[in-house]
Amino acid sequence: MKMSRNLLLLLLGTLSALAQEVDADLLKVKAKMDSVQSFEAGIIMDVDISFINMPTKEATISYQRGESVKFNSDDFILIPKRGFDFSLEEFFRHPFITVDRGIEMYQGKSYKYINIIPNSKKADYAIASLLIDTLNYRIVRSEIITKKEGAFTVNMKYDSDSAALPASMTVEFEVEEVKIPLNFMGRDTDIDRKQIRTEGKKTGQIYLQFQNYHVNNL
Amino acid sequence: MIKALLWAEAYKLMKQSRTWYAIAAVFVLELIVLISAYYRGAAVIDILLNNLKESFYFEGDLLNGNLLIYLILNSLWFNFPLILMLVISGMITDEYKDGTLQTVMLQPVQKKWFILSKYIVATVFTVLMVLVLALSAFLFSYLIFGKSDLIVFIGKLNFFNAVEAETRLILAFLNGCISMIFFSLASLTFGVIFRDTLKTWIVSVLFLIVSNLLLKFDFKWELINKLFYAKLNDTWQYFFQYEIPWNIILRNNLLLVGYIVGFSAIGVVIFNKKDIG
Amino acid sequence: MIISGSRLSKSFGHSIVLKEVNIECKAAEICGLLGVNGAGKTTLFKILLGLLTPDSGEIHCSSKGVKALGGIIEKPALYEYLSARENLKVFARIQGASSDKKDLDQYLENVGLETERKDAVRNYSTGMKQRLGIAIAMLNNPEVLILDEPFSGLDPMGIVQLRDLILDLAKNKGLAIIISSHIVEEIRLVSDRVYVINNGQIVKSGVTAEIIGQATLQHYLCAEHLKASTVLKEYQHTFLTETGALIEIGIEEMPRLMKRLAGEGIYLTSCTPRIDMYQLFRTAQ
Repeated sequence: MKMSRNLLLLLLGTLSALAQEVDADLLKVKAKMDSVQSFEAGIIMDVDISFINMPTKEATISYQRGESVKFNSDDFILIPKRGFDFSLEEFFRHPFITVDRGIEMYQGKSYKYINIIPNSKKADYAIASLLIDTLNYRIVRSEIITKKEGAFTVNMKYDSDSAALPASMTVEFEVEEVKIPLNFMGRDTDIDRKQIRTEGKKTGQIYLQFQNYHVNNL
Repeated sequence: MIKALLWAEAYKLMKQSRTWYAIAAVFVLELIVLISAYYRGAAVIDILLNNLKESFYFEGDLLNGNLLIYLILNSLWFNFPLILMLVISGMITDEYKDGTLQTVMLQPVQKKWFILSKYIVATVFTVLMVLVLALSAFLFSYLIFGKSDLIVFIGKLNFFNAVEAETRLILAFLNGCISMIFFSLASLTFGVIFRDTLKTWIVSVLFLIVSNLLLKFDFKWELINKLFYAKLNDTWQYFFQYEIPWNIILRNNLLLVGYIVGFSAIGVVIFNKKDIG
Repeated sequence: MIISGSRLSKSFGHSIVLKEVNIECKAAEICGLLGVNGAGKTTLFKILLGLLTPDSGEIHCSSKGVKALGGIIEKPALYEYLSARENLKVFARIQGASSDKKDLDQYLENVGLETERKDAVRNYSTGMKQRLGIAIAMLNNPEVLILDEPFSGLDPMGIVQLRDLILDLAKNKGLAIIISSHIVEEIRLVSDRVYVINNGQIVKSGVTAEIIGQATLQHYLCAEHLKASTVLKEYQHTFLTETGALIEIGIEEMPRLMKRLAGEGIYLTSCTPRIDMYQLFRTAQ
């Protein structure tokens, strides 16, 4: 009895040693992002989903700290639901703990690997994994497993060491492919939702290139 | 002589009230299809994009003029040739019924040029009707609903930007024109064979219905699927594949032109051989 | 001779419609083709006009114009939705004839139709349609005109007007005209020579007055006090009314009878020849 109680205490102690309220590097990343009051940039988007053919799209992105990101385009564009939370608001909106998972190699460089676990049931994600560039205080990769919208992975590339905003971004996600048995854009089909079969989840990607940044810093 | 005969056929066609009723009918049909396409279009887009809603927001309106023109294209390729066939077959059956064919043959007019002029004018009329249909479809759709990307499901979800969509839609109309010429001239040939207005209408409509049914039929032999006339009338759909298969489109159109020439030749030969009296 | 058909024969299936028919017509001459319904008149005309090919026989036409023959078969078939001028314009242009307003007006005037009327031909009377049909047949100035039952469906006034037109075309414009009818009186009044056709064969041909005269074996006479005539008793007769009697007498003897009745103080108020149809259409022996 005394043995198991001691073991439990040891486990809790270890966890609390590893878990922090908020990782210091993460806070530095947030601070760096908070210095950007607003920005506008042009985006070139390419969609890579097996059941979609879409040409390269152009759009503009407008970011205002504290507000949702806005997109503008003459064309129809698909905007991934994740990846544009530059100020990390979705993490900091609800209490969370971070777990330092050590150093991980990614594309030939080493980065700090942390998990973010929300403490509140109101959070819309279950867990997030971040790779942080601790030299330049920015995120190079994030994996977010949401509660209702599946999993997203966002990879970011930067032009220079000093750049706070990415030059390009890849958003990976899971999406269900819908198979519609008839060519129902055809002349004599009725829309019958019962006929639609699903063929399981597939992975898709969207590539975004940012250009012509106009940044307002604090 | 052929110029005068062409003029006479065009003149008679334009002077008949039936022709203008047909043109009005096409407009009415188009308007109805446009309205129904608008309501259908919203549901169609909803279904197509349903699974993407989980991962994406959408910026831009897919329910725009380009989608509506596409839906008009889909809906009109049965109703439109029906109207055309009724007008075109009347070019010959009316002459039998009213006896004017006899009056014409009492003049120094060669039979083969007379019937050939009908085939030529029927072709020109069909092309003009498709042009009117296309222009009005583009005009109404763009004016009321604007232009943006076009979404089409052919095996995959294909998105085309506005300019490309417009080009593909124009090409689809042009290609569809060839199919319409085929049905128009087929009805003229039926008129030469059957002479009676009602019989010709019944046969023409039956031909159209059967052709549409056979279009969806998958024949066991691939050669039939490639060469049979009924399979060629959907060639316009190829313009909405992401990579346009130009060689297939060219082959199909050449074959269809061959069928057009064949049907017309049958009509000319039969007309030439038969006594008018 | 402008037009002639020799030994023309035609069958439809097992039915012989024409058998070795000979017919001819000269310039400025009107030839009548008299026959009952189904005798073969229309078939013969269709062959002459080139609408049907004969099984045997030949047609000769000495006219060398663009359009040697003009004609109407049965009733004139017109584009009912076009006006008279528009009909003429269409038919003129397809055969290379002038379609100038001046020329079209002339064609309309020649057949007695209004030049300014713009409504569709469907509103025209039968007589007017017949005249327009003749105008169309006259396009390109053919030397031969073939008219199949042109008086059919016309009112008395229309018949008179059409008859005058036909006579004018032949006598003043020099056309050779062949005209068919099943009504003897119409042929008698308009044609110079007549062909009688029965069961696809020409049974009689010759000067109209003579042919019809040969078949005229009775006359219906009307006069006051006709019953009192003693001369009449020499002839077989039947009184149909108080003043009218049907007399068995041929056309040659009629003038003498009239003179003798006048001698009795009986003056005829009318004298109508009665044609014996059986005699007229009987095959020559």
